[in-house]
Amino acid sequence: MTNVVSAGLGRSSGGLNSKAETELRASVIPGQPDIWVLVLLEAFTFSSYFVVYMIYRMRNPGLYLHSQAQLSLQLGVVNTIVLLTSSWSMARCVQSARAGDYGIALRDVSLTILLGLVFTVSKLFEWVTKTQAGLTFTSNEFFMFYYFLTGMHLLHVLMGFVFLGVVVYQLSSPARRSQEVIETGATYWHMIDFLWVIIFALLYVMR
Amino acid sequence: MAISASARSVLTWFGLCAITLISWWLGTHHEQGSFAPNAAVTLSVIGIAAIKVRVIFREFMEVRNAPALLRHLTDAWLGLSVAALVAAYLITRPLAGT
Amino acid sequence: MNTAATQTLAPMPASAPARGKRRDDPKLELWIAWWVTIAFYNIFTIAFFILSRTQPPPKAWWHLPRIVQWFDDNHFGILFGFAMMFLIVGFSIAANALIAQSMRRMSVSPMFAYSYLIIYSLAGVPGMLLTCIALTVGAMRPDRDPKLLSLLYDMGFLSFSGTMGIFLIGSLVWGIAIVLDNNRVLPKWFGYMNLSNALTEVVVAPCVIFKAGPLAWDGSIAYYINMVIFGIYTGAFIMLLRNMIMREDFGSGVLPVLEKPPRR
Repeated sequence: MTNVVSAGLGRSSGGLNSKAETELRASVIPGQPDIWVLVLLEAFTFSSYFVVYMIYRMRNPGLYLHSQAQLSLQLGVVNTIVLLTSSWSMARCVQSARAGDYGIALRDVSLTILLGLVFTVSKLFEWVTKTQAGLTFTSNEFFMFYYFLTGMHLLHVLMGFVFLGVVVYQLSSPARRSQEVIETGATYWHMIDFLWVIIFALLYVMR
Repeated sequence: MAISASARSVLTWFGLCAITLISWWLGTHHEQGSFAPNAAVTLSVIGIAAIKVRVIFREFMEVRNAPALLRHLTDAWLGLSVAALVAAYLITRPLAGT
Repeated sequence: MNTAATQTLAPMPASAPARGKRRDDPKLELWIAWWVTIAFYNIFTIAFFILSRTQPPPKAWWHLPRIVQWFDDNHFGILFGFAMMFLIVGFSIAANALIAQSMRRMSVSPMFAYSYLIIYSLAGVPGMLLTCIALTVGAMRPDRDPKLLSLLYDMGFLSFSGTMGIFLIGSLVWGIAIVLDNNRVLPKWFGYMNLSNALTEVVVAPCVIFKAGPLAWDGSIAYYINMVIFGIYTGAFIMLLRNMIMREDFGSGVLPVLEKPPRR
């Protein structure tokens, strides 16, 4: 790990004792730190949406509770587990790439993409079944928020596939393999995971 | 006490899935029936979500090892969001008629 | 500074230009464009927010009598404010030219700059102008049939919110260019901010469906939260363009970092 840490800081390796190594490691942002501007902006934007949702909900909790009953909590849980697992596989991808195991890293990011696709298909399936049951974007206030929040989230997931695609591109050739780019893509993907965690709690579970 | 990064990720994932299942349980099993307003459930569920988000920040996004500014920013955002959500929930709750 | 020795040999320094006549400054056009952008946004703010009170937008669910009253209340503000906009709308090209110029300076394909210019010239100006035209037509003859006034009201506000979509594609183009750029013309965080802005602009789409609530054209999500992000973004790009102009060296490699100004 020493080489990776000191390489990440742009210094030559060797001669570092473990305490210094820990101190150095204690101030490194993986990937391009710039991506955090996007993460924090999106976090701020989504939490504003969540607060608006909560305020509207509390004006009419009966409607929201009744509408929530139409959602499949099981499917919400499955979606959450799928995304959590995709975050885990992406974290593993970063670790594998750091260790130089690029073949394994490629497998890890592919798993992440697969799980992302499972989530996407599951969301589309959920929307289709809800729409067929007559619960559309304009049915009532709860469903307006439901489609809006899950829709905006899915849009971010779709952009996430672009980031993951760049990671695959980086990993697939020895001429590239920029650790920084791989980690930047991972940071973006984790963002869509933590955003979903809150959406799940607010739309599916809260009473 | 050193565990490998890989083992740490697995433990993190396992912990996150476990508390997801706990919040699912909270959402379906409580005395008053599943779809009645329940402040205890809501606050627990928001709290669990906050824990999960912070774990994702700290472990998966490696904010644990990041400069203090980023650690503080992520905690501040999480804290403010949870406070705003809880405030919106509690303040407007007495006004709502079911 | 031995100008006699350096003027035939040394390339243009990356820091502030040599103090000569102002019209010899090769950055003159860039600075004019930047100041015109500042002027445009200020006049825009006065015309839309203060005179015509078109921003923040009035309610989307108002019925005919209330709409007629709104036109009446803002009669002179709309006429004067938008007459001003009609005169200076051409100023908006300055910002687009600077932004396109920033992409030409980058190591990415000129396609990015050209795409951006085309998008904005085809849709940006008419989009904003359509609002000005619709509302001015409405204000011009206050005794018009209320149904016609209501039509113009909808046309004005929907087209204004609807054209936020141009900022979506434009932000994507500019953001991707910045992230791919090797010349460090603009910081990577701003490239990502463009992507963030692009994703947020999507929320204006539902305003064609909802007349009330957070997703209406005057809603807390579709308008207010959206404008906070857009405002931060606009402030950032104005300052970054200024920074870029100061660093400009008219070369094709990495744009140098801004040097500290020399001692007075």
